[in-house]
Amino acid sequence: MSFYFISIGGTGAKVMESLTHLCIAGLLPENERLFISAIDPDVGNGNLERTATALNNFAVFQNFSVGNDTTLFKNKISIVRPFPFNPTGHDKTLDDLIEFYHHNNTAVGKLYEVLYTKKERETTLNEGFRGHPSIGAAVLAKKFDEGSKLTAQIEKIISEGDSVKIFLAGSVFGGTGAAGLPTIARLLKNNLVDYADRISIGAVLILPYFSFTPTNIQDELFARSENFLPNTKAALKYYSEKENLFDATYFVGDSVMTAVKEFSVGSANQRNEAHIVELYAALAAIDFFARPIKSPKIFKYICRHEQNKFSWSDFPARSELFVQFARFIFAYVHLIKPVLADLVSGNAKAYKYPWFVDFLDGIDVTAPDIVNFNFYAEAFAAWLKQIETLNGREVFLINPALFEANPARLTDKKLFATLDGNKSTLTLHEIFYRLTEPFKYDSTVKGFGKFLRKLYDACAV
Amino acid sequence: MNRTTRTIIKIILIAAVTIFCTAAAYYLGSNVTGHSLATASDNMNYSRWLEKYFILTRATGLLNGLCALIWFLAARFLFKIDDVAGAGKRICWLALLMASMAISLGIPHFYAPILGIKLNGIIFGLFLVIFSGIGYWLLTIFTTPLAFKYTPLGAQLFGRRL
Repeated sequence: MSFYFISIGGTGAKVMESLTHLCIAGLLPENERLFISAIDPDVGNGNLERTATALNNFAVFQNFSVGNDTTLFKNKISIVRPFPFNPTGHDKTLDDLIEFYHHNNTAVGKLYEVLYTKKERETTLNEGFRGHPSIGAAVLAKKFDEGSKLTAQIEKIISEGDSVKIFLAGSVFGGTGAAGLPTIARLLKNNLVDYADRISIGAVLILPYFSFTPTNIQDELFARSENFLPNTKAALKYYSEKENLFDATYFVGDSVMTAVKEFSVGSANQRNEAHIVELYAALAAIDFFARPIKSPKIFKYICRHEQNKFSWSDFPARSELFVQFARFIFAYVHLIKPVLADLVSGNAKAYKYPWFVDFLDGIDVTAPDIVNFNFYAEAFAAWLKQIETLNGREVFLINPALFEANPARLTDKKLFATLDGNKSTLTLHEIFYRLTEPFKYDSTVKGFGKFLRKLYDACAV
Repeated sequence: MNRTTRTIIKIILIAAVTIFCTAAAYYLGSNVTGHSLATASDNMNYSRWLEKYFILTRATGLLNGLCALIWFLAARFLFKIDDVAGAGKRICWLALLMASMAISLGIPHFYAPILGIKLNGIIFGLFLVIFSGIGYWLLTIFTTPLAFKYTPLGAQLFGRRL
């Protein structure tokens, strides 16, 4: 079995970021390979860039020899190229992509002119479809098969006897996601119709959860948050009336619209903070991948027990694995990283840190892979902090009051034992102690990976 | 081996090595220089000297063993590493080493006259090597709790202990 995750648009990219963290934490079922694909005309999108960094880090972590009998880094990932797939190319307008000059003054051309305004036709699409799914649907329908190698790759895998589960993530209220979800699903279904019994397609339809106030861009074509609800209503009507494209459909949204701090039409400036809705959407992907390939069609609505509060009882996955990973990251950031820095600069003596002598003596801790892990650990903590900063509502997963996001520092080290809100005996001292205790790993566990494995194991309750 | 078992074994080892050191100091001291020292002491015969010398070695051994035990108990139950600054604690280990050396030299120096026995330099050297060398330094290398296992000076010379 192979898993495919296709992110569509900016919201899809943010779901992909959450999924990458969950995947690194080992929450994906089985040891299947996850193929990651992104479709976004706004290739310079800051959200996508952050996700790509996390993905590339994960690719690097796969070089760490942590062994095969652990959930840490257990799922291998492959990035489907081109990444991201840009259906619009550079500096192209809808007229260019549809090749309107061929149809000028024809019946088709005139119909086209009726359906699209001049502004929609002549705006360059470097920053995406700007909240206009009608543009996206036309472009994707024309360009997906031409430019994306996704269908060919899936076909190859299926022809080798494998089954494939494909999961799409995108918003239904914006431009790219709203256009791409039904279009890509239909194209894939049509292209792979001969293998219908070996594929399963699921999707998370993300409902509005943020809003923004545009500044200084009155003349441009862009998504408007006041259109989100009408767009959503129309999209849901479409999904309820038209053929059911997905084997499993998940709806995730929020009743409170989180205000985006800095508005941007797109590109590198579009760097929105992570949101718990995206985490839930990623958990939906995990739920889908865990289901048998041929199971009854489902529509899932995710809700929480209390209106203004999230707690572990609302977490639809193995919370102990997530908590263990969070503990692992915080222990690394707080206990390990400062020591490595001090040892490199000569400000500390190795004898004080038996785990360094036992595991890392002779290993170059300034090697790029290890530096990457340092950055990743900080990025994970920052992501977690963003997830848990929710418009004043209370999030009782990893208690955000315990740490500062950037740099990821525990505000009170003694509170480490209550990282998940439950009192445990797992203090930082206990983790330090466990790191020094005897262990037995097979010969595939070695190098820095061996140390990470030991630290991860030490973080289990 | 779990942590409790390891703790019990190490405490037993500290007790055993303390007894061994006391016995070694008594046996070696009495055989190497006991006869000449007994005759050099006032109103003393060899069996009476042995009796007093046994009291001396027992007191020195006990206090030295206490140093090794205090280090073990502090490192096992008292020192907390909630921050990187809590690691190492070599200054505490060194302080106890100094205490052990003071005991190995001070007890014979001050307690022997009270007991009425004479000692020579060999006994002082023997006490230093046996009690501070074996009974503290070597013993703490092998009994220090794992979180501080390389704190005793020279601990890394004995290889990595996983």
